[in-house]
Amino acid sequence: MPRAHKNKGQKSKGRSRAKHHQAHGDSQGAQLSVVGQSASPPSVQGSDLGAASSDARAVDENPRAFQAETYNQPICKDALTKKASMLVEFLLEKFQKSEEFTDEDMLKVVNKKYKTQFSDILRKSSSRMEMIFGMRLKKINPNSQSYAIVSKLGLSTDEILSGRRGLAKMGLLMTILGLIFTKGNRATEEDVWKFLGVLGVYAGKKHLIFGEPRKLITKDLVEQNYLEIHKMSEGKSTKYEFLWGDRSHVETSKMKVLEVWARINDTVPSFFPTPYEEALKDQMERAQQGSPAMGCPAAMARVHPMCMCCSSSHK
Amino acid sequence: MQGSTRKVGAMTDVHRRFLQLLMTHGVLEEWEVRRLQNHCYKVHDRNATVDKLEDFINNINSVLESLYIEIKKGITEDDGRPIYALVNLSTTSVSKMATDFAENELDLFRKALELIVDSETGFASSTNILNLVDQLKGKKMRKKEAEQVLQKFVQSKWLIEKEGEFTLHGRAILEMEQFIRETYPDAVKICNICHGLLIQGQSCETCGIRMHLPCVAKYFQSTSEPRCPHCNDFWPHDIPEVFDPEKEREAGISKSSRKSLRTRQH
Repeated sequence: MPRAHKNKGQKSKGRSRAKHHQAHGDSQGAQLSVVGQSASPPSVQGSDLGAASSDARAVDENPRAFQAETYNQPICKDALTKKASMLVEFLLEKFQKSEEFTDEDMLKVVNKKYKTQFSDILRKSSSRMEMIFGMRLKKINPNSQSYAIVSKLGLSTDEILSGRRGLAKMGLLMTILGLIFTKGNRATEEDVWKFLGVLGVYAGKKHLIFGEPRKLITKDLVEQNYLEIHKMSEGKSTKYEFLWGDRSHVETSKMKVLEVWARINDTVPSFFPTPYEEALKDQMERAQQGSPAMGCPAAMARVHPMCMCCSSSHK
Repeated sequence: MQGSTRKVGAMTDVHRRFLQLLMTHGVLEEWEVRRLQNHCYKVHDRNATVDKLEDFINNINSVLESLYIEIKKGITEDDGRPIYALVNLSTTSVSKMATDFAENELDLFRKALELIVDSETGFASSTNILNLVDQLKGKKMRKKEAEQVLQKFVQSKWLIEKEGEFTLHGRAILEMEQFIRETYPDAVKICNICHGLLIQGQSCETCGIRMHLPCVAKYFQSTSEPRCPHCNDFWPHDIPEVFDPEKEREAGISKSSRKSLRTRQH
């Protein structure tokens, strides 16, 4: 009798880990788990008691929810840890999507009830993001309180480009940033389209990888704060200028972008003396401020000469 | 480059880089995962011996345990290829897709999902899915638009299309198994061998039990007379081949050399 095939997809330790599903995503689950706890961290003692009493009410009002929780109750140490986990989940999504978010967004994830503990929860989550995933929470715009999750490891353009979904846009972005930088930190729309035409990317012509380029550049990348767009003149022929967006300043560096630009042009950064000097200065300033992930030449050395432009010029 | 290889438990920058890149790629086949692992070692720790993949992943998973996340391994239902994705074990919805698609698009996916799970074959026809376009939440969607959205799902590896019919991509099964089991507890089918969620497979015509194609392949591998493991009746279907990564690579090589021959012949 042939042996039953054990699907390797299952954990070898079997389902006994009881890590199935958490409470159905909402605060009730977290509070119910607090009720059952014997120990809780001293820092949230007061609020725990507050939470516990409201939990009792929650249980009475919704007995079925309580049953669902105990059936598959995952083991967690305390509500703070659990909330930190939920926030980590949110932050990972933001990393994957390259999306920014606000304090408000994060608070919503954690539940406004935990407003006073929010900074503790955020600290716990940030520390996990760093320790486990090598990512860091970065403030993008001091005025609008917006943040992004950024890699600390200096992912090269090549690594990013080899991803199949959507991140090819980052390669195109890098080249546009390079154009803007080497043109004295601003490039006209005309410059941009002239340059992209060489790569086989045209406004209005849907591209296999980028979709419609004009929308990508003037709308998507601007909305995501990677590019900034300024109106130069009004009237019949409105002209636009492109600059680096806040997010580009945070997520990459002048040196990194110049290195990509140099590779596209089969040369080295020092071939462009003025931008190169600017990039060196920028690097020094960052080093003083302590941003180790930026402008890391060793990582960039792994950027393939292939890059985006070569693949797209074959289209 | 020495860099910071601060260790936290077993986590080093090798593992962190691996996680980041796995996340950005969404889902990877096993050979791609091996290549990624080798790449990460090369970047951070050239001299170290590369861990066995299973150990490497178990290592990472033990750290991720407290976050209810894991690197999950699955098998594609049609040809038994191993695939990997970073999966959230507490997912209670199609939340993985939520940031990629609009409300009405997500609802279209849910409708297609329901038809697929309910179906006998694991496939839902394009026509049947498109007929539900009027019932979608959110902005009104025309059928023509819905056709394009379905193609978006195929491109981002949530659905597979075969001759105008749609089924779930291995990725969707990997990432949403929990959600599917909970949402459709009555309609959901389970494989008799591996007890995993079953969308496509073969079934016994006598007693009705079902098996994944790769599970059938493995189970009946060295049998001349395949019989149902449950009722012992003759198994009436073709037995597929077991997926062999070695053969796969050879096929890939011969395919590409054939291609280059063709171009040289101009």
